[in-house]
Amino acid sequence: MRREPQYTWMFLAGVLVAIGCGSRPQDAAATSQEQGGAKPVRLAQATEGSGVAPAPAGSGTIRGTVKFSGAQPAATHIKMDADPQCQLQHKEPVSKQDVVVNPNGTLQHVFVYVKSGLEGQTFAPPADAVVLNQHGCMYQPHVMGIQVGQPLEIVNGDATLHNVNCKPANSKPFNIAQPVQGMKSKKQFTAQEIMVKCACNVHPWMAAYVGVLPHPYFSVSGEDGGFSLNRLPAGDYTVEAWHERFGTQTKTAHVGDGETASVDFDFSG
Amino acid sequence: MASVSGWALSPQAEAAKPEPDLAAGRAAYGQYCARCHGPQAAGDGYDAKRLYPRPRNLTEGVFKFRSTATGTAPTDEDLFRTLTNGLPGSGMPDWRHLDEAVRWQLVYYVKSLSSVEQDAPAQPVDLGRDPGPRHADLAAGKRAYEKMGCAACHGAQGRGNGTSAPSLTDTWGRATRPADLTQGWNYRGGSDTKAIVTRVLAGIDGTPMPSYAEAASPNDAWQLAYYVRSLQQDPNWSMIAHAPLAREGLPASLDDPRWQRVPRVDVRLRNAMNEQGEWALPQTVSAVSFRVVHDGAAARFLISWQDPSDDRGDSPDGLALALPSAKVVGDSVTLQLWPMRFSPPLDLCVWSAKSLKTNEGVVRRYDTLLQGASQAVPLDTQAAYEDGQWRVMMTRPLAPANLPNAAQITPGRFTPLAFAVWDGGNAGQRATSSWVDVVMDAEPAKAHASQ
Repeated sequence: MRREPQYTWMFLAGVLVAIGCGSRPQDAAATSQEQGGAKPVRLAQATEGSGVAPAPAGSGTIRGTVKFSGAQPAATHIKMDADPQCQLQHKEPVSKQDVVVNPNGTLQHVFVYVKSGLEGQTFAPPADAVVLNQHGCMYQPHVMGIQVGQPLEIVNGDATLHNVNCKPANSKPFNIAQPVQGMKSKKQFTAQEIMVKCACNVHPWMAAYVGVLPHPYFSVSGEDGGFSLNRLPAGDYTVEAWHERFGTQTKTAHVGDGETASVDFDFSG
Repeated sequence: MASVSGWALSPQAEAAKPEPDLAAGRAAYGQYCARCHGPQAAGDGYDAKRLYPRPRNLTEGVFKFRSTATGTAPTDEDLFRTLTNGLPGSGMPDWRHLDEAVRWQLVYYVKSLSSVEQDAPAQPVDLGRDPGPRHADLAAGKRAYEKMGCAACHGAQGRGNGTSAPSLTDTWGRATRPADLTQGWNYRGGSDTKAIVTRVLAGIDGTPMPSYAEAASPNDAWQLAYYVRSLQQDPNWSMIAHAPLAREGLPASLDDPRWQRVPRVDVRLRNAMNEQGEWALPQTVSAVSFRVVHDGAAARFLISWQDPSDDRGDSPDGLALALPSAKVVGDSVTLQLWPMRFSPPLDLCVWSAKSLKTNEGVVRRYDTLLQGASQAVPLDTQAAYEDGQWRVMMTRPLAPANLPNAAQITPGRFTPLAFAVWDGGNAGQRATSSWVDVVMDAEPAKAHASQ
C-alpha cells in the first residue's frame, strides 16, 4: 500500500506512451489482469523522465510449441479434505498442476523466455500489476512472469486463510497472511530470478512459480502448448524453456524486423 | 547490574551498547555459539543434529524473532533479546550470564555473517499502542482469532492441532509445528502480550507463520494477543507428587469431580533420540499432567497430555508409566537412554490408543508390551481424546501380587515414576520425562482429617 504513490506517475506516463505502442508479450500478466479485473494497460518500455533510454520497439516474433514425448503421467488428485472451504469450490476432483499434458500432446505451464540477446538494453517495468489470485485453494496462474520492479498484486479469492510465502533468493522474501476474502497485497521483486516459488503453508499443495525478468519477453505455454514472444527487436537470441519438474532446455533463434522465427521444445519427462 | 527483563531494554543496557569489535565478537562466537551453529555459522555445529529445531544457519540472514517487516533484518535489540532470553522449547539457551558487552559484540558479529542488513534493512512494524489489560476485550480477541484463521494451524482451542498443523514445513523443508498456545512456557519468542503482538504482525520468518501486518490493525492484534495470552495455562512443575488417600472412594471416571480435589503435577517431556543419536522430528508432546490418588490397595492415575492428532491405527498414540523394577537397587536409568544394551528392566504400564488398553510388565524393551507380551497384566483403564488432548485413567495395585519383580509402592515412601509418550501422528516419535517422586499419603491430609 505504501508503495502506491511511487507508481502513480509511472502509470500516467505509461498510459501516454502506450497509445503508440500496442500490445506486448505479457501473456501471463494479461491473463491475470483480466481475472483480477485490473485495467489492462499496455505500458511502453521506457517512461519519460526515468533516465532510461527507450528500447527499440521491435517487430520480430519467436513462437512455437512445447511438445511432450514422455509417458503420459497418471493424473493425481489433490486431497483437499484438510480445509472444507477448498473442496467446496470444486465440483470435480482437482488434479495436480506440476505435469499437465494437453490433449494435443503438448506440455502446459512451461515458462519460455529470452535468456540472452538483449544485453545492454533496459526495459522499464510496467506500472500495471500482474495478478496472482488464490481461488479454490489453487493459484491462478500456476506459472507466470513479471518484470523486475513491476507490481505484483496478490489476491485472496477464497473465504479462508491463505499465507503467501514467497522465497526469492535475489529479492526480499516475504510471508504474509491473507485471512479475509478479497484481500489484496502489493509486492514486487527487485532482481531477476528463474524462478521464484510462492507457496501456502495452510494448503500444502498450493505452489506458484514466478519468473522475474528485466525485460518483457516471456510467455507461458497454455492449453495448446503454444507460446509467443512478441515485439522483439531484430537480433540473435537464446530462448530457454523452464518446467518445474523437467528442468530447462535452450534453443537459439534469429529474428529480423517483421519476421517470425519458429522454436519448438520437446520435454520427454 | 543492568538487565533485560522481557521486552524493554533498560537504559543501562542501551548505554552499555559498545562500539562494534568484530574480533571480540568472533572470539565469543567461537567460544559460545560454534558448537551448535557451526564454525562457519552454517548451522552445522557438532551438536546440531542433536537439536530440533536445528540451529539456524546464520549466513542466510533469515531471523525468526524480529520486530521488523517480513523479509527484513532484525533490529540489534531483537537479536540482543534472543541472545539474552534464549528460545524456550528449542536448544537455544539464554545467555544472560554473559556480560552485556559480550552479548552486544555477538549481535554485531551475527549481523556481519549475512548481507540481510544491506539487502533488506530493518523496517520496524507498527505495533500500535497497548490498550492495557484493563481495556483488553477477550471477546474481540476471540473474534480476531477466528477471523484471522489462527485455528487453521493453532487449533480451535489453541492446542496446536489445526487441520494444517501436521503438514507444515519450514523454509528448509523440515517438519515444523505450530505453537501450542496453551503452553506459554513453550513460546519460543516469549509469552507476554507484546511478544505475541510482535509475532502476529512481524511473522516468524523461515516458518509458516506469516506476517499479519497487512491483515490486522495493531488494535486488533493487541486484542488477539490478550486473547492468546488468556489461553495460556499455568503449569505446576514439580518433582514431587502427593497422592491423597481417598476415603470417599477412588474417582470412578475421567470426569469424576473428585479429581478436582487432587493436586495436578506437570512434567516436561523431551523427544527421545533416534538410533543415530539425533533429534529428527519436531516435538509434538511437550508435557504430561497427572493426578494420582489411592485407597490403600491401588493407585489410580489420571494422566493427560496434548497431542495434536488422535492416532489409533498401525502407528498409534501411546503412553508408558515407568516404575523401577523391584530388582533394581539404586538410581534408575534416565528414560532418555532407555532401552539400551544392558539397561535394567523397568516396570512399565503401557497404554496404546490402538487397543485403548493398558498392560503392565517388567520388561527390557517397550516393544514387549506394545506388542502384547504373554506375561503382561492388564490394568483397569479408561481413555478419551478430545480436541488435541488425551486423557487416560489407569489403576494399578500398590503391590501387584501376580507380577514378579513389579515395583512395590509403600504409602509414606517415595516412589519414582516417569512417563514416555508416543505420538503416532509424528512418525511414532517418543517423548520422555525425567523421574518424579510420588508419595502416597499414609494418612489423610489435615484438611480431610478435620471432617
